[in-house]
Amino acid sequence: MRTILKLTAALYDDLVQRLRETHDFAGERVAFLKCRPALSATSLLLLAGGVHHVEDEDYVDDPSAGATVGRSGLRKALQAAYREAVSMVHVHLHEHRGRPRFSRTDLRENALFVPDFWNVQPSLPHGAVVFSFNSAVGQCWIPGRSSPSGVEIAIVGSPMRCTWKVTNG
Amino acid sequence: MGDKLNLQRQSFLGTGSEIVLGRSKAALIGLGGGGSHVAQQLAHIGLGSFLPIDPEFIEDSNLNRLVGATMEDVKLGTAKVDIAERVIKAVNPAAEVIKRRANWTEVAAEIRDVDVIFSCVDSIGCRNELETFARRFLIPLIDIGMDVHESSGEFSISGQVMLSMPGKPCMRCMGLVTDEVLAKEAARYGAAGGKPQVVWPNGTLASIAVGFFMKLVTPWETHKPTPLLLEYDGDLQTVAPSNKLAYLPAHCKHFDSLVELGDPFWTPDALAMVE
Repeated sequence: MRTILKLTAALYDDLVQRLRETHDFAGERVAFLKCRPALSATSLLLLAGGVHHVEDEDYVDDPSAGATVGRSGLRKALQAAYREAVSMVHVHLHEHRGRPRFSRTDLRENALFVPDFWNVQPSLPHGAVVFSFNSAVGQCWIPGRSSPSGVEIAIVGSPMRCTWKVTNG
Repeated sequence: MGDKLNLQRQSFLGTGSEIVLGRSKAALIGLGGGGSHVAQQLAHIGLGSFLPIDPEFIEDSNLNRLVGATMEDVKLGTAKVDIAERVIKAVNPAAEVIKRRANWTEVAAEIRDVDVIFSCVDSIGCRNELETFARRFLIPLIDIGMDVHESSGEFSISGQVMLSMPGKPCMRCMGLVTDEVLAKEAARYGAAGGKPQVVWPNGTLASIAVGFFMKLVTPWETHKPTPLLLEYDGDLQTVAPSNKLAYLPAHCKHFDSLVELGDPFWTPDALAMVE
């Protein structure tokens, strides 16, 4: 079974613009895509309909990581997931072209905080995605499974951009 | 020379365009006068996967416009999806064709993961339902429609091609779907009879629709945005961007809610059926 995250080009453009804004001390910004799930004949679809941005005051000054979200920031994200009954996909941006990779810190932290969303939305999948300027990779935690699966990403616009169709990115 | 489609003459579409097209999948809803043209052209450009859907069998009154159909098909009562499959496979034997002789609503789960939906249906009600479905699963929808109007004993041919892109203006924003039109259509349900249809306007509109699709998946020129609505004047033989485009909102207000996305009856138990 494939897992595909879909978001409109307008949402993506807005997201990237916000992620590229500078912060007083955090080296990068993060956000959460609010998604609703669906199943197709072959795939789990995560359909993004909005963004939960991490507010400036919710970053922690932590030189060991590009961005560290404090307890209040995580609590707000959990509240949004509970209140709006959505899957949450943590996103950040690596400012380069080509296929990005999660850092070891990303992978360790993803495994710690993404499953926390099951405390408020246990029946929904949740995940994490890192974008570059023209590609992306992701992980998804699916209810009932202990380890994450890979995520393919489709940006729905004109032109369409799908990670599984990139031939030279 | 083998069975592989030679796409050398369309290499200007970009590096890797052949691979991108080969990995793309389109649903074709309606395989009549418009959909049959679309199927044929998508086969020629090298689309990899087709999901043609139509519940009907061919009738003799279809033969004036259904591309690929023969008198023999009429005698045999061949299903329209079988004709589409035959046309596609004759051009590109490597294409994957998963045909469904059904109403699209009966096989909706199979449409959820296509890249693009071609809406080649007759009624405004069906267009409205298809667009609502497409928006729910964030699928671009390309709709074609033509009509023959009679006025004072004279006939006029008109039509339109519309790209319904999630997040962008929808058919309601553009005035193609209104409650008044839906109510009128519902009132004459079952009494409409066969609407006039001819082959060349369908061919024109279908060709434009395939052009819309190509700009979505392999844009050979990325700086000129695709107009969302083109109008066809069959009397003057012209196609032009709709005047309505100047008055459209930047974002659609009819499909802008999170709760209108995804499976309304989501349960993780269903995951076992997809494994």
